Amino acid sequence: MAPLQKRALYSLVIGLVLTIALIAVLAAQGDVTAFDRDPNLRLIMYAVLIGVPLSYLILVNLSLRKPTQVDERDRVIVERSVRTQWLAVIFSLVAWTIALTEIYRDQGQVPIAFLNLIFVSVLIISALSQSLGILLGYWRMNRNG
Amino acid sequence: MGRIKNRIRRLRFDHDEMTQEELASRAGCTRQTIIALEQGKYVPSIELAFRIARAFGVPLEEVFQYEGNQEANG
Repeated sequence: MAPLQKRALYSLVIGLVLTIALIAVLAAQGDVTAFDRDPNLRLIMYAVLIGVPLSYLILVNLSLRKPTQVDERDRVIVERSVRTQWLAVIFSLVAWTIALTEIYRDQGQVPIAFLNLIFVSVLIISALSQSLGILLGYWRMNRNG
Repeated sequence: MGRIKNRIRRLRFDHDEMTQEELASRAGCTRQTIIALEQGKYVPSIELAFRIARAFGVPLEEVFQYEGNQEANG
């Protein structure tokens, strides 16, 4: 396993664990307005918000600066992974738009807590999908060349 | 459409059974890239191709061969 591949895998696992933890806390609180009421939930959210991009930055991004660990083949894979990242971000925004429109159409307004949720989710999805894109890139290159 | 083949594995054995790690270190790439090259799953940039040829001390054509249509050359 290439060093960057290993780091992308660790980043993906850490990101998924933090994301699942966040979803579990939100589910346990009952609804999204708990974000406004509960300061602990906001703290958890901020921890995830900082933790996911930070783990991605340390594990993936900084390794790109180490010439002994990354070469031109790895860089090609990273460049291709941006496509996966872009698609994931677009689809998540589309999903948010459709879901919120359909759920809150009658009320004519959306709770402000969703602003934070949308931002956090897009940030997390962006970091996770690039790690996933890197892993897919290695898999595709090993399979097809 | 052509295909680029290489003799890296052969050349490694001809050079005192040079390890993939050693070649990677000399050529300035990772061992995984040498493995991918030997398996024909990656085509290197011109720069890396030259660095690999230089690591063996042979001309580029001795390491990489282009198997394409003759018309493509003209």
